[in-house]
Amino acid sequence: MTATLIDGKAIAARMVEEVRAEATELAAKGWAPRLVSISVGDVAAAELYVRNQQRQAEAAGLAFEARNYPETISLEQLTGVMIGLNADPRVNGIIIQRPLPTHIPVKALQKAVHPLKDVEGMHPSSIGNIVYNDLALGPCTAVAAVEILKTLPLNIEGLDVCVIGHSEIVGKPIAFLMMGLGATVTVCHHMTRQVAVHSRAADAVFVAVGKPGLVTGEMLKPGAALIDIGINRVEGKTVGDADFESCAKVAGWITPVPGGVGPVTVATLLKNAVLATRMQMDHYSAAFAVER
Amino acid sequence: MTAAIIDGKAFAAKVRGEVAAHVARLKEEHGIQPGLAVVLVGEDPASQVYVSSKGKQTVEAGMASFEHKLEADTSEADLLALIDRLNKDPKVHGILVQLPLPGHLNSELVINSIDPAKDVDGFHISNVGLLGTGQKSMVPCTPLGCLMMLRDHHGKLAGMNAVVVGRSNIVGKPMAQLLLGDSCTVTIAHSRTKDLAAVCRGADILVAAVGRPEMITGEFVKPGATVIDVGINRIERDGKTKLVGDVEFASAAAVAGAITPVPGGVGPMTIACLLANTLTACCRANGLSEPSGLTA
Repeated sequence: MTATLIDGKAIAARMVEEVRAEATELAAKGWAPRLVSISVGDVAAAELYVRNQQRQAEAAGLAFEARNYPETISLEQLTGVMIGLNADPRVNGIIIQRPLPTHIPVKALQKAVHPLKDVEGMHPSSIGNIVYNDLALGPCTAVAAVEILKTLPLNIEGLDVCVIGHSEIVGKPIAFLMMGLGATVTVCHHMTRQVAVHSRAADAVFVAVGKPGLVTGEMLKPGAALIDIGINRVEGKTVGDADFESCAKVAGWITPVPGGVGPVTVATLLKNAVLATRMQMDHYSAAFAVER
Repeated sequence: MTAAIIDGKAFAAKVRGEVAAHVARLKEEHGIQPGLAVVLVGEDPASQVYVSSKGKQTVEAGMASFEHKLEADTSEADLLALIDRLNKDPKVHGILVQLPLPGHLNSELVINSIDPAKDVDGFHISNVGLLGTGQKSMVPCTPLGCLMMLRDHHGKLAGMNAVVVGRSNIVGKPMAQLLLGDSCTVTIAHSRTKDLAAVCRGADILVAAVGRPEMITGEFVKPGATVIDVGINRIERDGKTKLVGDVEFASAAAVAGAITPVPGGVGPMTIACLLANTLTACCRANGLSEPSGLTA
């Protein structure tokens, strides 16, 4: 093992401290941040996740309301709920918990969230802003992965970066975030002929595919940074997309799974929440505040 | 010189023909005529040429053309009011605001006030995001034109290594998204890229969109690669003005398998794609199936 282990928990803890300070400041101005989580149906797995989210939000000084709607709710009714939340000035961020029942298309619901309350960074205009380098609210996992890389002593301008996986919520936004920072980015996926050719040329590799053991040590350039976004269950254990043992021998830095990108993702959601609240406060003052 | 020349002029004529045929069918079968509104603010001579040429080709394709020429000192409120009217006008399926706008107007605000479903330039932030997430959107014309030429030349693009040089919002970034959508392995290179020539030499498809005359030479090209030159640069040579691309044609053509010339390559495709987008927007607005081969 030569790679330095990247401590996601410590990075997340630092971010949460900043969130807490920002939340206190916003609260003093009458804008105490408040999140609303929407889940639909009886989803035991999601419930645990939501409770964890709530605990962390509250620990960072953010109010958190978890709402659960019955399985039978229609898309129209849920959209109505969204319109209410969008209009409610006491709600600053909306989280849509997955999975949703099949009759509720997640994209339609994400589009119904007001872009200024889109703390998950999933609204098309949030993604559009990322593409245009206007880093407002980005998709949490992608932003977290990039935040982790930014903590390393690497000059990102001109850095050769390989992103393995071109999913809409992780791979592609990472590519655009890194490109905006000046990296030369190559995006690989299941149709790529020889992933190793691209990954071995990279100073930093992001992998987000959902296949355990996909990236091995011989696919890396010695000293490269490896950010593993995969979360897979193998024989009762949680592992990433990288074969940790062989990669750690070659990489310069590596994120563990668990304890790498995961905790930073939650912290990014909280950071988005205070960012969104501030944006709403600024928007409100520009539109309505009386001149003194 | 070994490369096949990709004739953008001929291909654009073919695309315009397909659009016109589809427009004729729409009229006959559904009594619908697609309409494109072009808004020009001020008297920029280059913009005037573009706008009149867009209007002419719109009419030739059998579509309705609405031109709105506004004074250079038009207020933002007046321009936004016009866009609002066009957004609500059922005869208008596509709205294009000719850029650049005079300095006192906020282009971003103006573009984002166009109904995304009518944003035939594909610059509305919501369309940018929809394209970024692989959803149905309006796709910017120039990269759409490049994609059509590549599909026409290669058939399927899946698995090919594509390098896009330039990360502009109107060409480089959407081009990369479209190539990813067609399952290419995509690298986006730019001015900060280390050893650009080596990166480019890895490309089966090389798209140059940097705006620097003849920067990409034969040394950047892998033998047999397809080179798409998006650049249009006016340079002085031997006392004459000349249009050249971002690619040094002679040296690149000696190595490439196929190449687009400048002029006569990507250029003519842009308006053809504008017409295609207007048709697509019209079909979507009327709940009809989209024309095949004319969208991403």
